[in-house]
Amino acid sequence: MRPYQLATAAVLIAIAAVAMFDTRAGALPDPAAQVPGGLRGGWYPFWSAALASVTLLIVAYRSATTPQPAQGPFGGREGVLQVVRLVVPMLVLVIVMGWLGFYVAGALYLGVFARYIGGYRWIWAVASAVVIPVVIFFVFEKLFLVPLPKSFLYTQGLPF
Amino acid sequence: MEAINDLLLGFGQILEPFTLAMLAAGVLLGLVIGILPGLGGTSGVAILLPVSVFVAQQDQTAAISLLAGIYWGALFGGVVTSILFNIPGEPWSVALLFDGFPMAKRLGRPGFALTLAFTASLFGALIAGVLFTFFAQPLADVALTFGPAELFAVFLMAFATLVGLESGSPLKSVAMIGFGLLLAAVGFDSITGEPRLAFGQLQLLSGIGFIPVTIGLFGIGEILASAEEAGVKYEQVAAKLGFGDLLASIREMRRKVWMLVVNTLIGFWIGVLPGTGATPASFLGYGIARQYAPDKEKVNFGKGEPAGILAPQAAANAAGVGSLLPMITLGVPGSPTAAVIMAGLFVWGLTPGPLLFTEHKEFVWGLIASIYLGHVIAFVLCVVATPLLASIMRAPYSVITPFIVLASIIGAYAVNTSMKDVFIVVVFGLIGYWLRKMKYPLAPLVVAIVLGDSTERELRKALIGSGGNPTVFFASPFAAALSIIAILLFLLPLFQHLLRRRRAAAAGA
Repeated sequence: MRPYQLATAAVLIAIAAVAMFDTRAGALPDPAAQVPGGLRGGWYPFWSAALASVTLLIVAYRSATTPQPAQGPFGGREGVLQVVRLVVPMLVLVIVMGWLGFYVAGALYLGVFARYIGGYRWIWAVASAVVIPVVIFFVFEKLFLVPLPKSFLYTQGLPF
Repeated sequence: MEAINDLLLGFGQILEPFTLAMLAAGVLLGLVIGILPGLGGTSGVAILLPVSVFVAQQDQTAAISLLAGIYWGALFGGVVTSILFNIPGEPWSVALLFDGFPMAKRLGRPGFALTLAFTASLFGALIAGVLFTFFAQPLADVALTFGPAELFAVFLMAFATLVGLESGSPLKSVAMIGFGLLLAAVGFDSITGEPRLAFGQLQLLSGIGFIPVTIGLFGIGEILASAEEAGVKYEQVAAKLGFGDLLASIREMRRKVWMLVVNTLIGFWIGVLPGTGATPASFLGYGIARQYAPDKEKVNFGKGEPAGILAPQAAANAAGVGSLLPMITLGVPGSPTAAVIMAGLFVWGLTPGPLLFTEHKEFVWGLIASIYLGHVIAFVLCVVATPLLASIMRAPYSVITPFIVLASIIGAYAVNTSMKDVFIVVVFGLIGYWLRKMKYPLAPLVVAIVLGDSTERELRKALIGSGGNPTVFFASPFAAALSIIAILLFLLPLFQHLLRRRRAAAAGA
């Protein structure tokens, strides 16, 4: 577990350090500045990031010096695979959504998920890919009047 | 007696057909969400925030009824999975595993175990509702006298309780608070108008919304975390509730009525403390029931003891109700779920805090009336529909999971119709999953993101008003008391750590 804990703390410290660098101009109150109380916009985020980095340094020090569980963060190969199977289609879904719109991308996502991860017969996969987006379309676009992302075909006159 | 008149006004609000329908829908959704192990009350409320925005355009009381209903429903729903399947549907129903499942399986009385939990939930919630009714207005009146220094001290106390009471590393909690405040600060500074942490990106200037972040951390983060265990087969007991079970539960409750009252009061108090909520209350309730049980009953704990079901459940529901009290009266959420409900209030254009009582009286009392009515609806639904609800658990993983992903995306997109928020959901889903793995607590992060702007505003207002003099936080009696409590709460884990060290050293010597 130790390398994972250290790497996590290091990444978080790096993010906090970037934030501190970006807001360094406002770190200290400046009575001469033309702002209320001499406090610039960067003052608060600078010290929030400072608080995070100091505590994370202690976290990192402690995880380096105290006994840590020997096993890694994952339950095993199968567990990692399950997560990857979930993450990859989700990333693809979000990336193609800008182009295909919510309904087409969502239908493909549901169908692929049901067929290849659920192992359902084709007929069921297609059924879920059609029925769920259609229901969502009517509930959101018609009932609540919430527009969801549309495909490139929307401008050609398609409703989704 | 003014409170009773106001409560009647609230009931008048909530008995409007549309509001009542939203409350019932919320409770039903909450039950389903509570039963599904991959989804919690917090993520359920977060995912449905955008829908509530559109309900709020019709009627704000209906919108709060929907969100509060989900919370009430989820408090009940977690019971079913814990008792029948031996897996907690919600973090606050973990304590029910100790005696609930043994009673259902070993003693063969699942119906009794379920009705005990349901009646205890109703009891805890109704008593807490009465406390809420009579304490809300006085607390709001006190809060109205608060200036920036007092309010900042209250926020500080909210963060301190997250550090002092949560299990897990206090340092990691502080780090998460720091990051939450940092994320909330991204975008234009509301006082000076300077851009902050935007790195020249136009998208970042409008800030990072706490709704997509919360949906990501809880909604997506939770399903990723549970995906790893999805292959595990759950044990399962069939459920059927009889009228006899209900009568037996009421008899059992009458025998233990004082234990229940004490647990309800403690649960309510824990709920009111910012940032804690139902989960610690349920564990404390279980501990108290066990500690103070007669010797002949003490040995039954862990083997299906009725008090082991009654106590945590009464405490958890009382805490759930209590956690909304500081949200409504002070603008400080008492639990992560309350934090998300509070986010909803902001989006609908309401500012949680003492002024709500004068400016939106019918809204506040409608919410208070929903405590009573929502729990009665949840109780009736549970007793009637448990066998049906338990069958949700058999819905296949590969159908539920993509549906939750799509619901999360809709939830994030719909508020600002922005793809940026969809990306935030996915990114924070992955971050949430990893932070969970690394045992970083997420509640402090979310509470800090939600409270970040208000905390900064009050802190700077107090400092600007006093000319930069930090003693302003100790200037009034309220501010001094609250600040000192907050500081002590922050230092509590350090004291505990030193004490443990000394004890260990003494034991080693």
